[in-house]
Amino acid sequence: MADTPEQIAKHVKKYLFIGALLIVFTFITVGMSYVELAGPDGGQTNNILFGMAVATFKALLVALIFMHLNHERKIIYKFLVFTFAFVLGMFVLFILCHDNPLVMDAFERSKSALEHAHYHHS
Amino acid sequence: MEIPYTVNARPDTGLWNAKVGVWLFLASEVMLFGGLFSSYIFLRLGADYNWPVGVLDAFWGCVNTLVLIASSVTIVMAWASLKMGKVMAYRIYLFITILCALGFMAIKTVEYKGKFEHFGVRLTDGTLLEGHFPKEGYRIEFEDVTKFTLELDGVYPESNPKDFLRDCTTPEAERKFLNAAGKEVILDEAGLNALRLEAKAQKKTSVELTSTKPLKFSIKRGAFGFIDPIYSYTAESIFFKDNTQTNGKLVKDSMTLEVDLADVRDCADAEKSLAWHYLGDEQKAKFIALRDEKLAAFKKSFGNKEDPYKSPHFKRHGLVLKVVGGAHAAAGHAKPEHGGAETDTTHAEHVASGHDHPSVVIEKKDITFWSNFTPKYNTYYAIYFALTSLHGLHVVAGALVLSYFLFFDGKLLRKDPEHMANRVEVGGLFWHFVDLVWIFLFPLLYLL
Amino acid sequence: MSAASHTHDHAHDHHEQSWIWKYIFSTDHKVIGIQYGLCGLVFLLFGFFLMMVMRWTIAYGGAPIPGYGFLHTLESIPYLGEFIRWRIERWAPGGVVSPELYNMFGDMHGTIMVFMGIVPLGFAAFGNYVMPLQIGTVDMAFPKLNAWSFWLFFLGGLMMLGSFLLPTGAAQTGWTNYSPLATTTNMIVKNTFMTGATWWLLAMVLVISSSLLGAVNFITTIINLRAKGMTWMRLPFFCWAMLVTGFLLLLAFPPLEVAAILQLFDRVFGSSFFLPSGLVDGTQHYDISGGGNPLLYQHLFWFLAHPEVYVLILPAFAIVTEVIPANARRPLWGYKAMVYSVLTLGFLSFIVWAHHMYLTGMGTMISTFFQFTTVLISVPSVILLTSMMITLWGGSIRFNPQMLFASAFLPMFGIGGLTGLPLAFNFIDLHLHDTYYVIGHFHYVVAPGTIFALFAGIYHWFPKMTGRKMSDFLGKLHFWPSLLCMNLIFGPMFWQGMAGFHRRWYDGGKYFEETTKDMLWTNELISFAAWGLALSQIPFIINLWLSIKGGEKVNSDNPWDCTTLEWTTPTPPPHGNFLTPPTAYRGPYEYNVPGDAEEFTPQWERPAGAPDVSPEPATHSHAH
Repeated sequence: MADTPEQIAKHVKKYLFIGALLIVFTFITVGMSYVELAGPDGGQTNNILFGMAVATFKALLVALIFMHLNHERKIIYKFLVFTFAFVLGMFVLFILCHDNPLVMDAFERSKSALEHAHYHHS
Repeated sequence: MEIPYTVNARPDTGLWNAKVGVWLFLASEVMLFGGLFSSYIFLRLGADYNWPVGVLDAFWGCVNTLVLIASSVTIVMAWASLKMGKVMAYRIYLFITILCALGFMAIKTVEYKGKFEHFGVRLTDGTLLEGHFPKEGYRIEFEDVTKFTLELDGVYPESNPKDFLRDCTTPEAERKFLNAAGKEVILDEAGLNALRLEAKAQKKTSVELTSTKPLKFSIKRGAFGFIDPIYSYTAESIFFKDNTQTNGKLVKDSMTLEVDLADVRDCADAEKSLAWHYLGDEQKAKFIALRDEKLAAFKKSFGNKEDPYKSPHFKRHGLVLKVVGGAHAAAGHAKPEHGGAETDTTHAEHVASGHDHPSVVIEKKDITFWSNFTPKYNTYYAIYFALTSLHGLHVVAGALVLSYFLFFDGKLLRKDPEHMANRVEVGGLFWHFVDLVWIFLFPLLYLL
Repeated sequence: MSAASHTHDHAHDHHEQSWIWKYIFSTDHKVIGIQYGLCGLVFLLFGFFLMMVMRWTIAYGGAPIPGYGFLHTLESIPYLGEFIRWRIERWAPGGVVSPELYNMFGDMHGTIMVFMGIVPLGFAAFGNYVMPLQIGTVDMAFPKLNAWSFWLFFLGGLMMLGSFLLPTGAAQTGWTNYSPLATTTNMIVKNTFMTGATWWLLAMVLVISSSLLGAVNFITTIINLRAKGMTWMRLPFFCWAMLVTGFLLLLAFPPLEVAAILQLFDRVFGSSFFLPSGLVDGTQHYDISGGGNPLLYQHLFWFLAHPEVYVLILPAFAIVTEVIPANARRPLWGYKAMVYSVLTLGFLSFIVWAHHMYLTGMGTMISTFFQFTTVLISVPSVILLTSMMITLWGGSIRFNPQMLFASAFLPMFGIGGLTGLPLAFNFIDLHLHDTYYVIGHFHYVVAPGTIFALFAGIYHWFPKMTGRKMSDFLGKLHFWPSLLCMNLIFGPMFWQGMAGFHRRWYDGGKYFEETTKDMLWTNELISFAAWGLALSQIPFIINLWLSIKGGEKVNSDNPWDCTTLEWTTPTPPPHGNFLTPPTAYRGPYEYNVPGDAEEFTPQWERPAGAPDVSPEPATHSHAH
């Protein structure tokens, strides 16, 4: 671990650079949210994916550099890996519980067909 | 007794205790916000209404993001300075970090306040009108209220006439109550106790009171659920939340709203929406122009293959009208008693500050649901407030810890700077985590 | 924050502490452990009392509770009489338990037993007292935080009990507090803060926060404060189980905290996180926006509540794995296999939660997934149980009370586990869900399972805590009737459940004649067994109190000839625990090892010819 004063002094510039990078990416996120990416839903899905990708990158910068996760002890990685596995598991399983690919598809199709008819009727 | 490894790392794990502790704590925080974010996903995927996108002021959200990023840099600089032995620099950086936290919370407070003062009304045909209430709020008025049924020893023995007589507009001197036997009752503590005993003697759980003179009530509907005094009401009765029931005649049951937005996305026939009934043909014409313009743009991009009414993007821009203009024309709009020239200036100011909105009176029969922009308004605002208030609590907690370091840990700083640096590192890790959560919150809630 | 916790401690070392700081606001892990233990026992008794009243209603619904006449004679006593008139008459008019009271007791029985009885006893009490001793350290890593955990728990517990005194009474919506019922109940009140359902949520937030702080403390202590030579593979299995339990609490509780906070939002701010659109209350629509989803609550709740089952059972395993080798005089069979099993168990327990939700219609694919993981998790459980049974093989078993309880744990937990297997399959679960079958299954795991293990732990470590043994005779008088009654209570429930007895019938199913006509007597049988179980706890209570001052004195620090480090401390251990910092030279269970001269070899015994100080602990390659 870079704990001697000399090594830390070397890191100071890096911290400032990362700070600046985070600000730049914030502006990119804001800017891109007004750009309509391709897609019939006005790019909503693509915009979300892009925005989350940038946010994840920013979060990684904070975690790796500011929180020193780029050189941490093994045991911390061990339990963080499990934590993230469980969080991701929660996300994925919640989504799957919501959109059941085996049954809901047919249901969704009939629902959207109904909606379709409804809008054209009006 | 000395607990080992509080300052120096244990050789085989390479860690001192607080560092293990804080990372474990952060792991549980990851699960906490993980749970909240999965709730967000679940609610958004399952929303049966148009999920609001970009309804918050992204400018202030962006400013707050920058504030937090800056504080993240300063806290890591504070730690680095302390490690390098620059105590003064450490203090300055720490101080700036705390200032950033205060700034963040101040901006958040202003944002919250703006939301609390903004109202939305869902009409029976699915139309949404958003805007502001006049100063006196939304009131319903009752006349000829003579009978009260007080629940004194039933399931909720907490009836207290004070709570609903607060909304009685008949002067206190003119109120006089008789019990079932025709005896006068003074509604203070002693009088209430006498009523309770009377009820108990007759094995009743409620007591009937009659007012000698018909009373008038003007009840302000609470903007927050928990301060609304009424549970429900009909044209002939009120049911207060303390289980008191009255008779009466509903004389005013309409809501005055300065409309700034009309949203007809959920209205089966947008052109026949109740919005235009209230806002008038001028706004309707504006709406049709807007919709047709966006429809044409959509057709241009996607041809006839795609259904614009399935595009949330088109609906958001083509079926939602920002209502501006007509404040001076709307009936019932209070005009100050000024000369013409001054009124014009006032009007001009209104326009310039974006407050030029028509004021309409909406009949209760047309309303299915109304609320200010609190968690009650819809699940988007619910998760917005849940996420940001919990995040705000973390900011406050972090700021308190850092302030403790700055103001009360001078002794440790002199005696054992290495130990102090450990503490700042732990506090800093927490602070970075708070920043990290905001990095996700900002785009999810403000932008996407 | 946590680093701030120990600065005060040295100040106290040098002068006499006042009584209140030594025994009430102590930061010593042993005192906190005993505080948790006593509170846990009181809550356990209270939760049991609630159930005894409920069993009366189930067996003899409509008849006044026995003893009501006696209560009535107390009405002339000031305060108490007022309380009887004000509360008891209100919820049980004429001594007949009202449906509301039954629901309150049902909700509170579950909540108190799970969150305020067993978790504090198993994890917090035994973990706090024994774990730092077993790893050979002076205290927990953050002693002040430890005290804070206890007091947060205590406050939460008081709040839970206090909710009975609210005008609305305690929460009435089952220990799971499902929305929309839990959100819309008791809403016609002036102040939704002052309702049982809201207090339940607030109390839960306190208890959850307490558990989170406790878990951070436990894990840090095990990771960073192990004695010299106490490598991961020399760690007693007790500590392994506590480590895994700590992780379960740490990572599974936050989603429940989310659920509690969001439900609090729903109740207090009128939001609709868990309320779907179009919810109707009799005649009118609720004044809510709708758009939420009740399933979300269930997901968040069960994300905790399934790992919670393992939080209940792992401390029991922890205790039993200490008691069985010590009294069978055999090494723990398959120590390594058990360690990996318990780690696997911990991991899998996070991805089985939705098997509680088959009935919600969440979808076939996801049901299949959870069915698969649920069946999978039985593998590590079976490994744990089998290892302990094999440990008994060929031992010369001492049947003292702790061993009786520990060995009864094995078949009892076995029945609980095996009857769970059918529930893992969603098509069987559709029939059995919400019947007494589920009650029987779950209670076999925690009542004759975990609670027996907790009793074993009390008999086992009592001499270390007090310097005196508990009476063998009273112990056996406690054990045999308890075993009999437990089986008479929960055994018939499987039968009832398969016959279709619903678990929430307030009158035991009298009005569902088609289902219950020939079987109503089982209700009475179970109720009598429950009251018999209460009677058989009397020897234990007498034993516990009398033995503190009058039990047989132990004449060594290691009365049971055990091998783990807690038995090398003075008895009872002083503040700071060990006279000299201990070193572990060997594995934790060296009883009758072939080729050894000694009958047993404690961990602290230096091998002949070994250097005085063992090398620094080896690498941590086995963590997880």
